Amino acid sequence: MRIVKRVVARGLNLFLHASRDREMNREIDAHLRLLQDEFERKGMDPASARTAALRSFGSLEGTRESHREARSFMWAEQSLKDLRYAVRGLLRTPGFTTVAVLTLALAIGVNTALFTVYNSVALKSFPVHDAARVVRFERWFESHSQGRIQYAFSWPEFDYVRTRARGFRSLVAASWLAPVNQAKTAASTVAQFVSPNYFDALGVPLQAGRGFLADGPGERAIVVSARYWHRALGSDPGIVGHSLPLDGAVVTVIGITSESFTGTSVNPGVPDFWAPLSLQPVLMRGQSWFGQPTRRTLQILGRLDGSASTAPAQTEAELLIQQFATVHPDTDRTVHVTLPHTSYFPNVDDLRFRALAAGVMLIGGLILFVACANIGNMLLARGAARQREISSRMALGASAGRIVRQLLTESVVLASLGGAAGFAASLWTTRLLALELAANASLVGGDVAAVDLTPDFRVLIYAALISLASAVLFGLSPALRLASRDVASALKSDAGATGNSGRSRLRAWLMGAQVAVSIFLLASAGLLVRGMLRARNADTGFDSRGVFVLNADPGSYDDSPTAMASLKVAVAEKLRGRSEIDSVSIGGVPFTGTWTPPAIVDGAQSSTLGSYASHGYFETLGIAIVRGRDFTPAEGQNSAPLALVSESTARRLWPGKDPLGRQFTLDMNFKGQMKTFEVIGLVRDVRYSNLTRPDPAHVYIAGPGPASTVLIRSKASRETVARVFANLPESLVRNARALNLDDSFIAPMRRISDALAAISAALALLAVAIAGIGIFGVVSFLVGQRTREIGVRMALGANTAGILKGAVVQTLRPALVGSVCGIAMAACFSATLNSTLRFPGSFDLFYGVPFYDPVTFGAIVLFAALLAITASAVPARRAFRIDPASALRYE
Amino acid sequence: MGSTSQPSEAPRLALLQGTLDLILLRTLETMGPQHAYAIATRLEQVSGNQLRLNQGTLYPALVRLEQQGWISGEWRKTESNRDAKFYSITRSGRKALQEETGKWRRLSDLVEKLLCES
Repeated sequence: MRIVKRVVARGLNLFLHASRDREMNREIDAHLRLLQDEFERKGMDPASARTAALRSFGSLEGTRESHREARSFMWAEQSLKDLRYAVRGLLRTPGFTTVAVLTLALAIGVNTALFTVYNSVALKSFPVHDAARVVRFERWFESHSQGRIQYAFSWPEFDYVRTRARGFRSLVAASWLAPVNQAKTAASTVAQFVSPNYFDALGVPLQAGRGFLADGPGERAIVVSARYWHRALGSDPGIVGHSLPLDGAVVTVIGITSESFTGTSVNPGVPDFWAPLSLQPVLMRGQSWFGQPTRRTLQILGRLDGSASTAPAQTEAELLIQQFATVHPDTDRTVHVTLPHTSYFPNVDDLRFRALAAGVMLIGGLILFVACANIGNMLLARGAARQREISSRMALGASAGRIVRQLLTESVVLASLGGAAGFAASLWTTRLLALELAANASLVGGDVAAVDLTPDFRVLIYAALISLASAVLFGLSPALRLASRDVASALKSDAGATGNSGRSRLRAWLMGAQVAVSIFLLASAGLLVRGMLRARNADTGFDSRGVFVLNADPGSYDDSPTAMASLKVAVAEKLRGRSEIDSVSIGGVPFTGTWTPPAIVDGAQSSTLGSYASHGYFETLGIAIVRGRDFTPAEGQNSAPLALVSESTARRLWPGKDPLGRQFTLDMNFKGQMKTFEVIGLVRDVRYSNLTRPDPAHVYIAGPGPASTVLIRSKASRETVARVFANLPESLVRNARALNLDDSFIAPMRRISDALAAISAALALLAVAIAGIGIFGVVSFLVGQRTREIGVRMALGANTAGILKGAVVQTLRPALVGSVCGIAMAACFSATLNSTLRFPGSFDLFYGVPFYDPVTFGAIVLFAALLAITASAVPARRAFRIDPASALRYE
Repeated sequence: MGSTSQPSEAPRLALLQGTLDLILLRTLETMGPQHAYAIATRLEQVSGNQLRLNQGTLYPALVRLEQQGWISGEWRKTESNRDAKFYSITRSGRKALQEETGKWRRLSDLVEKLLCES
């Protein structure tokens, strides 16, 4: 308590410095006066009484100093002094301060914005009550299959665990988002089916009404999301209690979730409404999830008991899931169950996610580095001008440590200003991004648009930390360099008239490094932009314009492969011959996933992309058959052991030979179920797996296999086709929709690559702009500093060529070395990316632009040369214009 | 804390760390409100000139005590009609004095005992 009181009093006195000093002086004066009175009474004359009083009192200055020390914090007072000094110094050079703060604001702003996104996606906890105790069930398969299926459990599995587990306060099941039609309009809405305790157990925030009764019988009720309430229900608060006719049942709206609730699904997304699981068979007629032990449609979330740790709950969950499997064996055994904590993006351990995050953060870090190198360089240049001031202070007794502290204070002030501006900029950027996402929700998918980009304390801390780190990064080495100068020689020599060799070497390093990083970013972005330009008019190899994909729920309860296959065949039969439709077939849909089975050709192991096709598939998609023939209708339906292969497959598997009549064997299920096919035709290469490059190998095998769908070609509009699909009998399909291959599959991919290239180009340009500002700033500053030296040399008869050489070499060399390093780095980077392309299905970030792309690299070399020439032209021009007479008068 | 400074005088005592605070409190308790000069004079008198302070060294101690809320200062006129800051002991100051005195007694007893034993 006493200590607290004193600390507060001392802290307060930091700011009352002047008034406390006045008070102290008054008191000391009064004291001296009394002493003097006393000596006068003893008979001294006033003057000697005064002297005696002073002697008796002791050291005046010492008393004042110890008084100050006792009443306040010395170190803090010094820091405040440093701070005032730094602010005054920065205000004296408004140009430098503005440029430095702006540079930092850009760099810190970009980094903070990137981190805000990362934070929202991977760090923010779940939008439910006490999220720290909520875990998600994740299963690990014997086959090492990964992805969404790891979070999927069947209703009987959930029921089995729920009734037996003791380590959880509650267990909640929630489905993936599923389409449900409204009764009258047939408008499609998205539902999530949940166990009735979903709202209570998780503590989902509601803005009106209530959640489902946790223990009640299945209610005919739904809870709508805030977004759907605004979009479709006119934000009417009176909607609670009203009924809504859905296809299959009339339900009552009993609640509205709050605006901030972004859902709990593994692949993020907010449904239009939540319905109890008991309504699932009613709203999705034709299929029921109950009583099907291997039909995995539910995600399980668990709330741990107050004190329980995850480990025992995990053991219990794993045991129960495995017990269940002994009764209901499945093809792929679950070997482990883990209970990870949940965030918006559930799979943050995913290697691809981590690589992406690391890559983006690396770019941000590089930009920050360029900015720091930049400011460090400007501080060095500024330091050259302040050498006299610093030397004088050191001569007057300031220690080197004190000077370093003072210079660092200046850096911290700069970084804080830059950080604050950057944070503000990041708020604005992410707000813009959120609006953009919301506006394009239909393009990027509601999933992505649902992310909550509001920054929280983590973002603030991050911004503060990187500001501080950059202050040290750009401030420390110039400060050390400046403070270590020999005082005597500094005072003798004229400020800035002679270069300090150590300092100019550091400057050259910094300049070279920032040129290298900028060139690297620019070259990488250049490759991406080139790729983007290609993607805009990349030839897919097929005619996607009039192709429609039937997207529907099966009309049959039986979901065995044979039943599904015959269902597809029946649908195709129904559609064939209709006047609106030119061609019908069954086969794989491009860009919806890849299957790369191991292949054996003439005894050699290989791999290839594969998909199923029926008679007419190549006609429907417009893929030209170069040689050989199509499947006959019978071969297509009966999964004959025949295949058509792409031209590049033929080149890859049978180089220089005729592929027709040759055989290859595929491992159909990755477990050794081999099947041998005979090649009956050769087709053109297409971009099937992704838009970025033609498939390096693709075989089309006969049959209505898994992952194949009914595709049609039509000249009619999407609405017409949708009507035709909707008229298909319910015994075959329900909820039928027509998706245009162009609009629904290809356009989004093009848009994503556009956005990627635009963002990376913007970041690279930012880095180049920052580096450019820095280099020009430093160079022209230096020439300004050297005006006198140059003037002297010219007066002494130095020829302009010699002076020019000196001025130019100083900037040209680091710029050139930096450019070469940057180009080398970019080449390494693109070669690394290129080497990932060996796998047939992998994604080519550069859209087939060769990794040594001569156009990009040529342009970059040209740019680098231009940069170097311009950078050295500035000092050259200024050096030329120096008039010896006026230069000598300069200081 | 305090120290002797004038070489011509007989050997004098230096104050132990922390005892000046105690002495100041005690002085203010017995004499009522006093200014720094009067306190210094009084200390010299009581000690029979054995203890001699640089009068300036009182100030850090006074600041400390005031910040702890044990004494409070106020500007008044002296008998000789000069301005001076008068310090007086506060209620919490009295309590602290009591505690500190007890502690000091125990400590000095202990030191005394240890010195006698050997």
